[in-house]
Amino acid sequence: MRDIITPVASIAASLLVVGILLAAIGINPFEAYAVMFTSSFTSKFGLAELCVKTTPLILTGLAVAIPLRAGLWNIGAEGQLYMGAFAASVVALYSNLPSYAMLPAMFLTAAIFGMAWAAIPAVLKAKFDLNEILSTLLLNYVAIYWVEYMVYGPMRGKEVYNFPYTDLFPDIATLPRFFGTRFHLGFFIAILIALAIHYIVNKTDFGFSLKVVGANPRAADYAGISRQKVIVYSMLLGGMFAGIAGMIEVSGIQLRLRPSISTGYGYAGIPVALLASGNPLLVMASAALFGFLYVGGSVLQTTYSVPIGIVYVFQSLIVLFIIAGQSLRRRD
Amino acid sequence: METLLEMRNIVKRFGNLVANDHIDFEVRRGEIHGLLGENGAGKTTLMNILYGIYQPDEGEIIFEGKKVRFRSPKDAISAGIGMVHQHFMLVPRMNVFQNIVLGYRTPHDPLINQKWVEERVEALSEKYGIDVALYEVIMNLSVGEEQRVEILKALFRDIKLLILDEPTAVLTPQEVDSLFYALKSMTKSGLTIIFITHKLKEALKVTDRITVLRRGKKVGTVKTSETNERELTRMMVGRDIVLDISKPPREFGKEVLRVEDLWVKDERGNYAVKGVSFSIREGEILGIAGVSGNGQRELEEAIAGLRKVEKGRIILDGQDITNKGVMERESIAYIPEDRIGVGLAPSLSVLENLMLKDFKKYRKGFFLDFDEMEKKARELIEEFSVKTPSLHATAGTLSGGNIQRLILARELSRNPRLIIASQPTRGLDVAGIDYVRRRLIDAAMKGAAVLLISEDLDEVFQLADRIAVMYEGEIRGIMDRKGANYEKVGYLMAGGLEVTA
Repeated sequence: MRDIITPVASIAASLLVVGILLAAIGINPFEAYAVMFTSSFTSKFGLAELCVKTTPLILTGLAVAIPLRAGLWNIGAEGQLYMGAFAASVVALYSNLPSYAMLPAMFLTAAIFGMAWAAIPAVLKAKFDLNEILSTLLLNYVAIYWVEYMVYGPMRGKEVYNFPYTDLFPDIATLPRFFGTRFHLGFFIAILIALAIHYIVNKTDFGFSLKVVGANPRAADYAGISRQKVIVYSMLLGGMFAGIAGMIEVSGIQLRLRPSISTGYGYAGIPVALLASGNPLLVMASAALFGFLYVGGSVLQTTYSVPIGIVYVFQSLIVLFIIAGQSLRRRD
Repeated sequence: METLLEMRNIVKRFGNLVANDHIDFEVRRGEIHGLLGENGAGKTTLMNILYGIYQPDEGEIIFEGKKVRFRSPKDAISAGIGMVHQHFMLVPRMNVFQNIVLGYRTPHDPLINQKWVEERVEALSEKYGIDVALYEVIMNLSVGEEQRVEILKALFRDIKLLILDEPTAVLTPQEVDSLFYALKSMTKSGLTIIFITHKLKEALKVTDRITVLRRGKKVGTVKTSETNERELTRMMVGRDIVLDISKPPREFGKEVLRVEDLWVKDERGNYAVKGVSFSIREGEILGIAGVSGNGQRELEEAIAGLRKVEKGRIILDGQDITNKGVMERESIAYIPEDRIGVGLAPSLSVLENLMLKDFKKYRKGFFLDFDEMEKKARELIEEFSVKTPSLHATAGTLSGGNIQRLILARELSRNPRLIIASQPTRGLDVAGIDYVRRRLIDAAMKGAAVLLISEDLDEVFQLADRIAVMYEGEIRGIMDRKGANYEKVGYLMAGGLEVTA
């Protein structure tokens, strides 16, 4: 019961504070929230956009949630997402694979690159106990600037009028879309992965080890569970999903590689995972909440000229309230 | 003798738990009054109320004939009550002088009147027979010396009543004797002492009267000269528990564990175990006596595979396991000293904690067989009578005794060849102590080799076939139980060199 109180209270408190902020700039918060709600839920296009935004958030939420279960903070989902997107783009643009092999190959290389990017902080943590918060965070910038360099330089397209884009992917390298909207196959991939992870963390011996390491690392040592292995594996899994999120974004939505492929999905994965307290099924729900904020936020921007930044304000508030709630609970 | 302190009808509740249930407690001037009870009986709560740390929900306190109410320890101290806690409250980097005057206004405040303090400490030392080196840094003192500083610090504040919370828990037998001597001389000079303990022998030895608490209620107050161990036990636990268990004789089998010239470092990189050698056979219990912090933890962790061995060898059933991981030491059961920090994942369920070491054996295909795990866990809970609301209850919410039963259930059910039991009964109540000791004897009788590491000499003498004493990382003599006595072991524990008998 108490597990539910903290997230629900955090959401409510964040809504309240954002409402006050909106009121302060002369916008009726009830109206604004109503507009956000109707725009996301009352039309086919609204619902499709909701799913489009939710898809990468499920994956980056998992990318944070799995290491979190072992007590590790993966702040690097953003960078892992960029590396996944980069890898998928290279395959899409330069591989000339036949159509049946194209998407699977993009999927695999994106997963591998995301994993590789997460492997660096994972190994540093396991071998030298280097703080993973710092190393994952800093590697984000390396990945983002790497992609920027590629699209300004070697990978810049021939038909892009000097914009920092690659060319559009060939059709065989794009994810199928449905209902005449941007709703695409990636949504189902994300749901399937979340379900699979649910079984892995709750039903397998790896999931058990993960839980023990997260609950008490010294008890894990005592029980003969290899902490190093659990650290590396959980980070690799996390990096893999963030990498897949990158592939899904470029081949489902952007259809090319460009500098700002992610509007902070990797960072949003942190509140998504926290709100779900690391539970993969709840990650889907909290990803949907944040997806709603993204969609509603852009509607606020067009209707009231409120900067999209309000979404990030909301995200940060939720993190703050959850952390505050947890420390309050620890005290009694 | 006149009454110095009266606590009437004291009630203290923590949520649903009634820690003190209408307790009347009366102390006379100049006596040593023992406050006896199992862990969780409410002794410390009652004294924390007296000392102003807690406020009572009901009841009143009369001190020196006046009704008083202490809102904080400061009030209690200025009324003349001092308390020495189980865990000392000294600043390790400061010297004795600084610790004594800390928070005290000497004449000429804010300047510290050094001469005045020195004279006063000297007078107190002489009066009560407690010696301290005034300018020694606390870090360099032994535990016994630290305790003397704590007592002196209280006396320095002109107290009339001194509360000692489990003062002997960390002392060697010799230090206990000298503490008792000092306490007697303090009462001769008019001081009154409340002595909190759960050790019967000590209560009988040093007190004038004893009040027994059980589950938050007062059972009664008796004159020490008119009672005995059996009566006190009955008062404490509500039934007779035969505490004089001992291990029956048994033929010893093959050698199970051999440790050869073992050197192990502590966290700071200093050698904590210095060239230790011993062996244990099937059916044998080797007791390692010694005050905590003399390398016992490093020794047990090295044998359990949790700590790197710098030099020497560990041989288990003829195989060299010196550098093997925990998984390759499956036949070792380990009941660690720090049960909650090492032996348990307190935030996980009872089921998960029971399966902490064996969950991989329940793999069926890709998934774990949770039904099978629950079945096994249910059996274990039954067999070791772990009291828990359910298998899915959070392990950290169990009582200390049930946590230890849970750990025993997990460790002993794996048919170990070697059992390392470190301070296995510390902090448990009498029933729990009895249970754990019987289980260990039972395991040894069935053929396991047991390494018992304990500060509790009674325990070592009850269980061990051979007794070794550990002091500053070395084993000071290994002797047969028959050839050992408390004086000899105590002498070695305090750093004495082996006496050739």
